[in-house]
Amino acid sequence: MIETANELGHVAMQEGEVLIEADTAAALAVGLAALAAGYAERGIGAAAVGAMAEDDDLFVNGLILTVLPETIVILALVVVFIV
Amino acid sequence: MSLVGSSNPEYVVARVRARRGMLYSTEEYRKLTRMSPPEIARFMEESTYEAEINALGSRHGGVDLIEYALNANLAKQFEEILDWSEGELYDLIVRYLRKFDAGNVKTVIRGIYTDASREAIETDLIRAGEFDDRLIRRLLEAESIEAVVEILEGTIYGEPLAAAYEEYEETDVLVPLENAIDRAFYERLLGNLPRGEPVRQYEAFLKAEIDFRNADNALRLARSGAEIDPAEYFIDGGDLFDRDTLARLARDLDELVEYIADSDYADELGPALRELEVADSLIAFEHATDTALLNYGDKLGTRHPVSVTPVISYILAKEREVENIRAIARGKEAGLSAAEIEEDLVIT
Repeated sequence: MIETANELGHVAMQEGEVLIEADTAAALAVGLAALAAGYAERGIGAAAVGAMAEDDDLFVNGLILTVLPETIVILALVVVFIV
Repeated sequence: MSLVGSSNPEYVVARVRARRGMLYSTEEYRKLTRMSPPEIARFMEESTYEAEINALGSRHGGVDLIEYALNANLAKQFEEILDWSEGELYDLIVRYLRKFDAGNVKTVIRGIYTDASREAIETDLIRAGEFDDRLIRRLLEAESIEAVVEILEGTIYGEPLAAAYEEYEETDVLVPLENAIDRAFYERLLGNLPRGEPVRQYEAFLKAEIDFRNADNALRLARSGAEIDPAEYFIDGGDLFDRDTLARLARDLDELVEYIADSDYADELGPALRELEVADSLIAFEHATDTALLNYGDKLGTRHPVSVTPVISYILAKEREVENIRAIARGKEAGLSAAEIEEDLVIT
C-alpha cells in the first residue's frame, strides 16, 4: 500500500505536480488536531459536569480542565504560519 | 476507552468520586461511637443523610429512624447511579445492584407468608435495584405468594419462581422459592460479561465475594454440626469451591480451615483463620472476609480510573458505611461500650 503510494507520488512528481498542496496539508493538520481536541474534551467535559453537579465550587476548575486540550489546536495553527 | 454513545463512565465516575469524598472518615466513626442514638441521628442530619432524616423523623424515632434513613439514603444513591449510567456501564452496575431486588422479593414473600402488614413490609424494602416503583407497589399489593409469582412473570425471576412455586405448594416451606431467587440473581451476575481488563477485575471481585459467601456458609454449617445439606446453600460461580468439595468440607471444620488456608486467599484470611482455630470465633473470620473485600474494592477504584471499577468501589464503600452506622446505633441501643462497638466496625 505504502509502496503504491510512493510510486504514485513519483509519477506525480515526474509530471511536475505535487500529490497534495501545502496549504491543503496545513488545513488538514489543523482540522485533525481540532478533531482530536474535541474528542479529548468530550471525556473531560462529561467528568467536569459530573463533578459540578455534586459541588458547584468546581465550576472554574472544570472549565479550565475542559478547554485544556484546545492548546493542541493552537499549536497546530503554528503549522499554518510556517508553510 | 468507551465508545461514543454506548457508555459514559467519565460522568458517573466524577460524580461518584465526589460522593466518595463525603463518606464518613475514621475520625467521624470514632465520634459516632461515643454518641447516643438521638445524637447519631442529629449528626447524620448535618451530613448527606439530611433529607432522609427529615422525611422520616416524624414517623420514626431512635434507632429505627437511623436504620430507615440509612436504607432510604442507600437506595436513593444507588438509584441515582443507575439513572446516570448508560449502555454497558449500566449493565455492569445493575448486575450487582440486582441483589437488592432479590432481597426485596424475598422480603415480600416472607411478609405474605407471616401475614405481616403492608406498612411493615414496605419499611423493610430497600429500593435500590432495577425494579421501578410501580412494580414494587404491585408486589406490595399482592395478597398471596401466587400473585407475587404472577407479577414477577417477565422479570428474570419469573421462570425460576414459577418452577419453585409447585415445590412450595407441596412442602409449604419458603426455601425452594428463596433458592430460586438467589439462583436467578447469581446466574445473571456472572453470565455474558463483556471483555476488557476492568471488567475482568470486576469479575474477579464478584468471584471473591461468592467464594467468601460460600466459605462463611460452610464454616457456619461445619461449626453448628446441623444436619443440613451444604449443597442447598452452595452458590455457583466462585473459583474456590465446587458443589462436591463444599459438601465434603462442610462436614469437617479442620479440613475446611486447612483448605481455605491453602487457597489464593491465604494472605488476606490467614490471621483470621489462626484466630478461628484458637478462639473458635466465627466473627473474626467474617470480619476478615469483609475487610478483604473492602480492601479489594479500594484497589479496584484506582487501577482503571475511567471504567466501571471506581463505581463498584464506591457502591461497596457506601454499603459498608451504612452497615457500620447501623452497627454503632444497634450497639448503642444494646448498651455496648465504645471499644466493643469499634471492634465490630469494618474500617480501612
